[in-house]
Amino acid sequence: MKLDHLQPDSVIKKRKRAAWIIAVLFILIVISFIISLNTGYIRLSPFEVISTVTGFGTDQQELILFQFRLPRIVIAILAGMGLAVSGAILQGIVRNPLADPGIIGINAGAGLAVMLFISFFSSDLGSSVFALPFFALLGGGTAAVVIYLFSYKKDEGVSPIRLILVGVAVAAGINALMIVLTLRLDPESYEFLATWQAGSIWGSNWSFVQALLPWLIILIPFALMKSSVLDVLNLGDHTAVSLGTDLEKERRILLAVAVGLAASSVCVSGGIGFVGLIAPHITRQLIGSAHKYVIPISALIGALLVLGADTIGRILLQPSEIPAGVVVAVIGAPYFLYLLAKLND
Amino acid sequence: MNAIDIKDVKVGYTKRTVIDELSVTIPENKITTIIGPNGCGKSTLIKTIARILKAEEGAIYLDGTSIQKMDTREIAKQMAILPQSADSPAGLSVFELVSYGRFPYRRRMGSMTAEDYEYINWAIEVTGLQSFRDRPISEMSGGQRQRVWIAMSLAQGTEILVLDEPTTYLDLAHQLDVLMLLDKLNKLEKRTIVMVLHDLNHASRFSDYMIAMREGEIITDGPPEEVMTKDNLRDIFNIEADLTDCPYSGNPVYLSYHLSGSDDHLPSRNDDREVM
Amino acid sequence: MTTSGKDNKRDKEAVKAVSKTARPVRGIFIIIGGLVFLGIAFMVSISLGAADIDLQTVWTALTGFDPAVSQHQIIWELRFPRIIGAALVGAAFSIAGALMQGMTRNPLADSGLLGLNAGAIFMLAISFAFFPGLPYVYVVLMSFAGAALGAVIVYGIGSLSRNGLTPIRLVLAGAAVTALLTALSQGIALYFNVGQDIAFWYAGGVSSTRWSHLAVITPVLLLMVIASLAISRSITILSLGEEVAVGLGERTMRTKLISGVIIVVLAGLAVSVVGAVSFVGLIVPHLTRKLVGYDYRWIIPVSAIVGAMLVVVADLLARTLNAPYEIPIGALISLVGVPFFLYLARKGGKEI
Repeated sequence: MKLDHLQPDSVIKKRKRAAWIIAVLFILIVISFIISLNTGYIRLSPFEVISTVTGFGTDQQELILFQFRLPRIVIAILAGMGLAVSGAILQGIVRNPLADPGIIGINAGAGLAVMLFISFFSSDLGSSVFALPFFALLGGGTAAVVIYLFSYKKDEGVSPIRLILVGVAVAAGINALMIVLTLRLDPESYEFLATWQAGSIWGSNWSFVQALLPWLIILIPFALMKSSVLDVLNLGDHTAVSLGTDLEKERRILLAVAVGLAASSVCVSGGIGFVGLIAPHITRQLIGSAHKYVIPISALIGALLVLGADTIGRILLQPSEIPAGVVVAVIGAPYFLYLLAKLND
Repeated sequence: MNAIDIKDVKVGYTKRTVIDELSVTIPENKITTIIGPNGCGKSTLIKTIARILKAEEGAIYLDGTSIQKMDTREIAKQMAILPQSADSPAGLSVFELVSYGRFPYRRRMGSMTAEDYEYINWAIEVTGLQSFRDRPISEMSGGQRQRVWIAMSLAQGTEILVLDEPTTYLDLAHQLDVLMLLDKLNKLEKRTIVMVLHDLNHASRFSDYMIAMREGEIITDGPPEEVMTKDNLRDIFNIEADLTDCPYSGNPVYLSYHLSGSDDHLPSRNDDREVM
Repeated sequence: MTTSGKDNKRDKEAVKAVSKTARPVRGIFIIIGGLVFLGIAFMVSISLGAADIDLQTVWTALTGFDPAVSQHQIIWELRFPRIIGAALVGAAFSIAGALMQGMTRNPLADSGLLGLNAGAIFMLAISFAFFPGLPYVYVVLMSFAGAALGAVIVYGIGSLSRNGLTPIRLVLAGAAVTALLTALSQGIALYFNVGQDIAFWYAGGVSSTRWSHLAVITPVLLLMVIASLAISRSITILSLGEEVAVGLGERTMRTKLISGVIIVVLAGLAVSVVGAVSFVGLIVPHLTRKLVGYDYRWIIPVSAIVGAMLVVVADLLARTLNAPYEIPIGALISLVGVPFFLYLARKGGKEI
């Protein structure tokens, strides 16, 4: 049942536009995927890549492609999706386009937990990798609960602006704590953690993909299901209540989803900030603020962004690498500042 | 018939009780307006009716059922509320915003049904927004925007419409425009309308029933000719008003007023000019 | 134009009201008391440490230095400069914070939160990576340049914004600038393998302060203290709001420019000594305003003393709480600073 005759042209046009955007982004991701496969310390020509993928490559080529590059690319895509959707949800909850899991301290909380985990179990994770997202979740969740409680006032509920301010403070506190802990580490673990914190896609093997994937498969569709709730939250607290949303409950659920996505992504990708900020914002410029479009399109833009950043980071200063997080921050922070200057409160 | 029964309600904030043991009923199929000076609790009362604030004691009954015991979506199907400060997010078209009025009827994943679209299109039509339906809200004037919000509330398809100061921030013509739209909805569709208004003349002209509050208590309630009297206005607002009948509705309105017990108003005009 | 005349009168009354809230007696008392406290803290701080030295030895080391005594060496070469460094840093951060809060009328202003510290670290990272072994004077200059970089970006955002810098905007701009410059520093650190050096600056500590460093920073600091006292009256007027200040005939641009330079120099100087320590510039001016009122002629000197006390005590705790290890002083101050910020964010829920 299409019901097109009941809808104005603008709505139908927007739907078609969304489909086009998704198609174009998909193609761009595929292109970046191929470029990324070809990039690295050992150059493989496009022909070699194709022959390896189709099963005619040398053992070394297979090892490079399937065991090093492919999982890394997949993780970049997945982490980008997770962070972007997390940002889209947070911005919806706090009704402020400047919210981002990095800025309000969720990434820092997850990072601290991962750091504790690594300092106990060393950097050789083995099978404990599946426990990692849970730890990250615990850290990110604790940070979120602290932020929520501190920004909650009995008469006013959670004020979005207070939520952001409290988040910034909590992030600062956690970062200070992390510095104390890093100084105690031996140089090897320190190097490892420093790289991780800078947002290097370090989980270059398939077990990390397996650890992250289930979270996204559950949480992204759930977020999509909640898109009409997010739309309504966007109209302001009072309107949302009057339309029949259980405001605090929905807010808590959505916050939990955002934390889950950010924490599970951060624990494999390291501290990549700003993806959750940029991706939803670009999306809104492209298609408006209806969340049934914002969520899937942000996910794709996030994937493209992190994959692109990781690839650029590998090309730019060969043979050494710039962590993807640094590349994203260099693009993302100015973009954020631009938004800050442009937006009216 | 009563649309909303308010019984022994106590509401307040952590440090301050605004309303205590307040009871009043709001008649069905009528326009009811709550008036009162700043801080009298009228906004608190309407927010309590809208379940944005929770009553500590007592209850609000909607069609005989306490709203505390009802599912919030069920309430949203019976009563639509237009808050005082509604934010309109960027990049939404009129049609999209009005379509959010169907939120209480949507199932988790379900897309909208033919009935939903019919309600939306009807709401747009009745508010006279047909030619604007593809227009982004950010490009509309304050008065038009208020119409869009009313259209959204109408799309909710409820019997009762609650509005908190719907004319604030609008110029004179747009204020009247909004009130006449509400009047039309009441007359044609028999909607029960409850609102808070600051302008007493508007309140009197467009209401069937008025509730006057002061310091968290109801001073008087009844039809405009009973509420809008010289004595009541002195009690409620501390003003001496010169009343007359509205040429349009026949209800009492004031021509001008001065503060009770003060003679400040007499030689004022020249003094004022100098101070300015 | 009777209008502006009347406004003017009202403004003057506002200024008078502010001056009235000033509490000079209390201010003088706090300054003297603070100096006494600092003196005691100095002695205690010198005597406590990895190797405890009794107070008598401390006294003889100060009055009759004997290079042959190893304890005298420790006192003179390690502990004494470090404590003076801590005091100077505390004063510098606090004055910078007070000026920022007064100038921007923003209760959440602090050099750490607003990206100045990250800027200074960024330039330090560059100097370690590209010019290893740079003389200390130049390191300090690089640090100034970095603080200026951070300040210019954040302030630039403010002047570009349509509604000016609201507190939330300022904090977010600071967070973003910090993220950007930190990411760049991390990139440089990883690429040039100077990570550990940089990490030290992030953590913050005054343990490596030497007389040669103090010789560079002390004159600059003194100059800045005098300069900030000189403009303190203008800052008070500016803190009443731009329009009021203009109405009173204040040259606001000039005041802002001068205090901007002072802020940048103070923050850069402090970071070059202690690293990225946040929150000192946030907490101290707030406390000071509670103590001596809203007149910046009192806020600035009292902030300097209170800030010095705070950092000297923090350094003492950093050394002694978990001896022989040192807790990074930045983390220790954050333990106080984060809750304080949360308190401000909650309390100011309405205005912010």
